[in-house]
Amino acid sequence: MHTVLTMNRIVFSLFLILTSFALRAQTSDCACFVKGVVKDQHTGQPIVGATVLIVGKNSGVFTDENGRYELRNLCPGAYTLECRIIGYNPFREKLDLTAGHEENFNLEEQEVHLKDVEITAHRTDAPSSQPLSTISGADLDKTRGQNLAESLKGFTGVTSLQTGSSISKPVIHGLHSNRILIMNNGVRQEGQQWGSEHAPEIDPFIATRLSVVKGAAGVRYGSDAIGGVILVEPEELPFDKALSGEVNAVGFTNGRQGVLSGTLQGSIKGFKGFGWRAQGTIKRGGNIRTPGYFLDNTGISEKNFSLAAGYRNKGFGIDVFYSRFDTQIGIFSGSHIGSVTDLLSVIENGEPFVKSGFSYNIARPNQNVSHELIKAETHYHFQNGNRFQWTIARQLNDRNEFDLHRPRNDSIAALNKPELTFKLTTLTNDVIWDHKPIAGKLAGQLGISTLYQYNLMDGRPLIPNFNQFNIGFFWMERYVTNGWELEAGARYDYRSLTSFRIVNREKVSQDFKFANFSGTLGATRNFSEKFSARLNFGTAWRAPNVSELFSDGVHHGAAAFEKGDATLKAEKALNTIASVKYASPKFTAEIGGYYNIISDFIYLKPQPEPILTVRGAFPYFKYTQTDASFKGIDLSANWEFMKHTTVSSKLSYLRVYDRRNDNYLVLIPANRIDNQIKYELPEDAKWHKAYFSIGNLFVAQQKRVPPASDFLAPPKAYSLWNAQVGTTFHVTEKQQLEVGLSVQNIFNVAYRDYLNRFRYYADDMGRNVSLRLKWKFGAYD
Amino acid sequence: MRMTRKISSMLLLAAAVSFTQCKDAGDDVQIDDENELITSVTLKFTEEGTTNVQSFSYKDADGDGGNAPTAFDTIALKPNKTYTLAIELLDESKTPASNITEEVAEESDEHLFVYTPSPSTLLTYTYGDKDVNNYAIGLTGKAVTTAAGLGKMKVQLRHQPGSKNGTPGPGSDDVNLDFNLKVQ
Repeated sequence: MHTVLTMNRIVFSLFLILTSFALRAQTSDCACFVKGVVKDQHTGQPIVGATVLIVGKNSGVFTDENGRYELRNLCPGAYTLECRIIGYNPFREKLDLTAGHEENFNLEEQEVHLKDVEITAHRTDAPSSQPLSTISGADLDKTRGQNLAESLKGFTGVTSLQTGSSISKPVIHGLHSNRILIMNNGVRQEGQQWGSEHAPEIDPFIATRLSVVKGAAGVRYGSDAIGGVILVEPEELPFDKALSGEVNAVGFTNGRQGVLSGTLQGSIKGFKGFGWRAQGTIKRGGNIRTPGYFLDNTGISEKNFSLAAGYRNKGFGIDVFYSRFDTQIGIFSGSHIGSVTDLLSVIENGEPFVKSGFSYNIARPNQNVSHELIKAETHYHFQNGNRFQWTIARQLNDRNEFDLHRPRNDSIAALNKPELTFKLTTLTNDVIWDHKPIAGKLAGQLGISTLYQYNLMDGRPLIPNFNQFNIGFFWMERYVTNGWELEAGARYDYRSLTSFRIVNREKVSQDFKFANFSGTLGATRNFSEKFSARLNFGTAWRAPNVSELFSDGVHHGAAAFEKGDATLKAEKALNTIASVKYASPKFTAEIGGYYNIISDFIYLKPQPEPILTVRGAFPYFKYTQTDASFKGIDLSANWEFMKHTTVSSKLSYLRVYDRRNDNYLVLIPANRIDNQIKYELPEDAKWHKAYFSIGNLFVAQQKRVPPASDFLAPPKAYSLWNAQVGTTFHVTEKQQLEVGLSVQNIFNVAYRDYLNRFRYYADDMGRNVSLRLKWKFGAYD
Repeated sequence: MRMTRKISSMLLLAAAVSFTQCKDAGDDVQIDDENELITSVTLKFTEEGTTNVQSFSYKDADGDGGNAPTAFDTIALKPNKTYTLAIELLDESKTPASNITEEVAEESDEHLFVYTPSPSTLLTYTYGDKDVNNYAIGLTGKAVTTAAGLGKMKVQLRHQPGSKNGTPGPGSDDVNLDFNLKVQ
């Protein structure tokens, strides 16, 4: 049996097939109807209790025990049909009951088979009243070759926290690290997320969909889902489908970086219900160039692969998934500072002291990080509509950080050991029960999640070793009635943490216990076909992490002495998020507002006196708690103002305030606006999906910072231009070649971003031209 | 079918069991003596023509954080005298304490001590040693005081692997201390 597979489907994501929209009409009076069956592609079983509704009409129906639905008394016209199941990303399909099919309507009463529509109604499990943005298909292809955080930057309200150009962490509504959660293929990603220079250990090529749930989603996802959740989801495995695959090749001029990724997937003849996938990525890049100079030692080398296999039979399914992520990242050597004096002199110099040319070589300081995930998931759909799912996963995160300087002692230096090693092992268990709809109107989900984690640390003392255990119980229900969709949920979490460290050459252990209730309440209202609104109140929590409890030393990247506090309590967020959407064929706009109040928000508070070390006095910061408010607006609009030509705008606006101290907070992303204009060539036999676009990103200066909180004022506002051109060639019926060329920072503008930790030392990346090729073959899609 | 389900469940169970073979992070905590710290810096001034040695120290035995430094002496010298200045670096967080001065001496082509009095009229420092590339090191040198006065003396150890060029510019600080200086 082949076991060269990959990309197991995310546990939670099912595919539905909405079979045959049938419609019937006598004349042009309002007697059309649409009917069909909603099926689960996993199993071919009908789905009981899915909502099917016509957007804008206050009429929705549930599918019956055979998965059937029927919507009657429709007038001829254009409609949008929507299908929803709890936790699924709503699927919409446009139906035209007039144009092109008019003849059919005039026929005798009979079922007219329009087309088979495959619905990719992915289950996301987030409350449906919370905003969910997804990138997939051609839009995701345009981000290929970039790391995870960079791939998500197209969403409003999402930015990144960077350490140079190669380490990026996603930021949602101003929150990052342990305040957002990443679900990698249905499993919560557990690395050393507390570190601002610890990027998520995920290969974006694993995913065919990347989604962001904005706002607190603590009920469904548990601890850390304060700012939002990122979902990394692979495609469903190709059960009983022919062999297919794709090869992606991306080249970037800046860093002379090349990325090659391939996927092969299929089934086994004679083994019904089986599917497999194998996927791998290689990335290699050298020194990054700013408009004026190269950055020494900024190369990257990455090798990732994943294997997946699954089996389906009627209501039963099982998937296994293995992935390995392995990266070696050079850290710009000019960012190594020993003392405040060092930092001030590089700031004064305006550019790095360390000069360099181009090189692929990765030397000290560097990070070598690997992350392994093995996961098994099984589920069973009962005939009556109940569903059971069990997921177990084990992750091993192995992070090694090498300082610029080897130890002076030759015999120790000869070992070439990393100065910091963290080995974090995490075992998770999730059991979920979807109960069958009650009275055809109420559907819900119950679950238990456990997590066991232990951390082994070696080298320079930074964070302690620890054992951590967490258990959570949740329950969510959703009620659908005319035009309204209401949902509510609650969760209880209990966490215990035992830390072990050396104090004065003695082992000291300490126990911590945290417990929390979370809740969510939401409503969605469809006012008309074009106009809908959502409102959600959600809470989430986060226990202080070990670095916040125990830090005690100089953070050299930040030239700050950071001290933890073992008496910190858990952080709690109460998030209100509302959005209104207007969608017509030529114009779409969505405006969302949020107000996230985080009580006992943990942050580094500057202390009046500096702290003395052998490298001089460092500004002294203590982890302290306050109440913070995060208010913001996300606005996006698309307007096809001319045939084939669309202009789109995205605005992210955020204001953050420290309510206890009447002050601002540091490291909050600046407001920004992104504008694009895109021209799409009409489809013809030769040109498929051909387009040209040009865009601009304007990032304002962050002016809301606490006074005298930093060595350097936040960088000035900047404006970057970019352009893309691309098309798809149909080589043969079963082979496609997609080509895309893009230029970032066209005018090679020298700029620095407030959320790039290297803003003290060097400019950001200069012009970058990239060429993307994607070859798809076989029965893909 | 039923068979497959049974096998799968058993596989899952087996996997679950194997996952419970957890390690306890507490068993693994140990004192790591492979990290290099500089916990004490001692300046030894020997007045020329005498054997009078005056030592002035900075000491923080447990390194950064933890307990505050236990000593940060004021350098007290006489005016218009010539002193031989030697420096000693120790890591006293280990038992026995390790001598970092020796290690700096072994890798003298990567290190440079910089002594900066302020005001600069208080004292003049002259290097008394050279590395293999004929660049100064500063493990030993001569300090000449002039008129009486109060000020500071900055003592830096610049770590400059591969970039040492005789100037303080390259590299980063391994030591950066502002001693109070009293010439009277």
